[in-house]
Amino acid sequence: MQQNQVLQFVKTNATLIALVVLTGALALADPTFHTARNLSNVARQVTIVGIIGVGMTMVILIAGIDLSVGSVVGVAAVVVTLLMQAGVAAWIAVPATLVVVGGLIGLWNGFWIARYRIPPFIITLGMLTIARGVALTLSGGSSVPVADPSFANLGSAYIPPVPTLVIVGVAAVLYVTRLVRSLSQSKKSGIRADVDKPAAGVIIAAAGFALAIYVFGGGDGLPVPVAIFVVIAGAAIFVLGHTRFGRRLYALGGNEEAARLSGINIHQTKVIVYVTVSILAALSGILLASRLNGASPNLGTMFELDAIAAVVIGGTSLAGGSGTIGGTIIGALIIGVLNNGMSLLGVSSFYQLIIKGLIISLAVWFDVMQKNKWAG
Amino acid sequence: MSEVVLKMEHIVKEFPGVRALDNVNFEARAGELLALMGENGAGKSTLMKVLGGVWPYPTYQGDIFIKGEKKRFYTPREAEEAGVAIIYQELNLIPELTVAENIFLDHQPTNRFGAIDWRQLHSGTQTLLDELGIRDVKPGDRVRSLAVGKQQMVEIAKALSKRASILVLDEPTSALTDKEVADLFRIIRKLKQNGVCMCYISHKMEEIKEIADRVVVLRDGKTIGDVTPITDITLDQIIARMVGRDIMDMFPGSARQRGEKILEVRNFWVDHPDWPGKKSVKNASFSAYRGEILGICGLMGSGRTTLVSAIFGACPAATHGDVLIDGKKADIRSPTDAIEHGVALLTEDRKALGLFMGQSISFNTTIASLPAISTPLTGVINAGRERALAEKQVAQLGIKAPGIDTLVGTLSGGNQQKVILGRWLNASPKIFILDEPTRGIDIGAKVEIYKLLNRLAEEGVAVIIISSELPEVLGMSDRILVMSEGAIVSEFTRGKATREAIMEFATGARRTGE
Repeated sequence: MQQNQVLQFVKTNATLIALVVLTGALALADPTFHTARNLSNVARQVTIVGIIGVGMTMVILIAGIDLSVGSVVGVAAVVVTLLMQAGVAAWIAVPATLVVVGGLIGLWNGFWIARYRIPPFIITLGMLTIARGVALTLSGGSSVPVADPSFANLGSAYIPPVPTLVIVGVAAVLYVTRLVRSLSQSKKSGIRADVDKPAAGVIIAAAGFALAIYVFGGGDGLPVPVAIFVVIAGAAIFVLGHTRFGRRLYALGGNEEAARLSGINIHQTKVIVYVTVSILAALSGILLASRLNGASPNLGTMFELDAIAAVVIGGTSLAGGSGTIGGTIIGALIIGVLNNGMSLLGVSSFYQLIIKGLIISLAVWFDVMQKNKWAG
Repeated sequence: MSEVVLKMEHIVKEFPGVRALDNVNFEARAGELLALMGENGAGKSTLMKVLGGVWPYPTYQGDIFIKGEKKRFYTPREAEEAGVAIIYQELNLIPELTVAENIFLDHQPTNRFGAIDWRQLHSGTQTLLDELGIRDVKPGDRVRSLAVGKQQMVEIAKALSKRASILVLDEPTSALTDKEVADLFRIIRKLKQNGVCMCYISHKMEEIKEIADRVVVLRDGKTIGDVTPITDITLDQIIARMVGRDIMDMFPGSARQRGEKILEVRNFWVDHPDWPGKKSVKNASFSAYRGEILGICGLMGSGRTTLVSAIFGACPAATHGDVLIDGKKADIRSPTDAIEHGVALLTEDRKALGLFMGQSISFNTTIASLPAISTPLTGVINAGRERALAEKQVAQLGIKAPGIDTLVGTLSGGNQQKVILGRWLNASPKIFILDEPTRGIDIGAKVEIYKLLNRLAEEGVAVIIISSELPEVLGMSDRILVMSEGAIVSEFTRGKATREAIMEFATGARRTGE
């Protein structure tokens, strides 16, 4: 019985355990890995793929795919820097880029997919090429420097340690109150609460808060992109779990025809999802341009693959209908930690590619195995 | 009398929980057409799948004799080699290949280098087509470009190319025009002369009279009566064999009063989804009343499902005509509109069209009432209200599950059906349409569903049920509409309807009006 529960826990949290084991192993293998400075760096690197991954999770949840996100990163970076070159202030250029680049590309993809049922793979593959071409055309093929110095804050600034600690503290208090409320609620409705489920959640959350204090509570503090990522991920977790829109996504991915017959507007839902992922990709492009202090038209090449990999490693099913943002965050962290760790250990970048590919294959295999067991 | 080519003895085939074939016995002779008749679900198709090796030995019991020799088919290929060819309703041709390539698929004539001998392929095909008297199909035509009727003839030619001596035709005319049917019958007569033994599955009485030599009836997986020459039996007698006389006493009584008219459908037409000019529903007009259960009967493909899904706004094809709800014209273009107008549709295939298998009972029972469990502006779901709605349905429908978080995929068929019922009850419909509400569930769950429908009608809901099971419609409905080939051909009130009368209209053996 006891053993069974442990096995169940391992199975449902396999990716998280993989992340912990990986982190532990790297901490033992390389003394610089677990410094706050290095971990903070890892966190910042992860945000770029992580933000796209949040959108990609929604797309894959509805059994779609978006291959154009990497190119959107490039276009957004080029457009935002060009706007500033043209004298537009950063605080206008950023939202304008999000709406124009992210919004329009998302609408285009969503329109064809929802209205004419063009396979998402094809229409976004087309957009991958189109958007890259647009980035190259607009920039004339060369890098665009940043004209407005305030723009750099977005990607490179920090929230200092003291406010960071306050933020983490507030988040922890919020978490505890919610936990207490949900526990009392389930007690009230007379349901025998699954004790081990919240218990595992509490341990994971506590470890998360402790790690956040360790990494961001000292040194320079919390990098702004990481803060943005946390806000976006938090919002997405809430939307998927606690809103009508979230329900529509799971319904649409689980059984599109049944969703339609249950009165869900599947066209509208699809368009919103593809617009969201494009806007998030555009945001990633802007953050990247800010941190690099300039935009190359080739920025974001192959990002779509890292984003998809993060989603898949995180346990979201490519068949749609099941998956979580939390899983994607873990997936993105695994990729980020792996990249960082292998570089620290001096593993050749050639081997890095091979290892990353093997891990993705393993994750998909695991997903299929689960599915088969369920079907059988 | 000619030689007995096919004999099936004591065939029994069981699926989990159901005995689909229960001691089936019949024989068919060379050069005759044996009509295999029975209601939907009587076991005809299962029987032919046993013959064709789709259900291989030993997944069934009993013996198959071909030309007196006992046969056991482990694969469809072995059945084919023994001379059995089956033409299913869904044709098995490859649309992108030519007629000749399809006919000789897998047994193409080859030259001495092992490559396909195209000249022989085409001349062989031409010979076959000539033999069958098919003039307007050429060996080089791409199958995709042929009409359904022609494709079916290609299937027949394909069967003959394998020297089939037993040809099974499963409802071959269901998608054919009158002229195509005439062509098909001409070919069937030719095949009779050539000594081919044919088993012909059909619901259509007129056809049977015209083309069959002998008839055998299946009901509930049993052969009813012997194989009878068509000249020795009347259509009424066939129908009597098909429907039986025993209506089980499983329909709870109900004291209800018909209220005012709530739904009126006027001159309603639905286009065929992929056949321009053809109509799936033809000029249907009917009304439904509060506090009444209206039954709709018809054979498969009679347009009953299309009619209700079009009213619900779920049919992709264009519709013409008016739908009035509470006397006002309702412009329903999508299921969302329908739900807003108080219409609910429980679809016939719960797995494909109804359930979210990987989601919980509470997800499944509230998905059609998201506005009721969330804040209007923000769309944030109120967990308490969600739980309350889900638990209400679990309690009132008696859904057997550990809790409302249980995944629907782990439930039994009856409980899954109750989950979908719960979804629509949560939407509080004024008009509740149920397409095959009790298919594939056990008797106990059926009776519970009947009781629920009675209660809904008593509460003033207009209930419309579609069912292939005649006893169900007869036992539950206050009024019954019969559909045949897209049109409403007859209407009965409770007490006036009999299985025989309904079957006569549904099979097109009798018509009123037009």
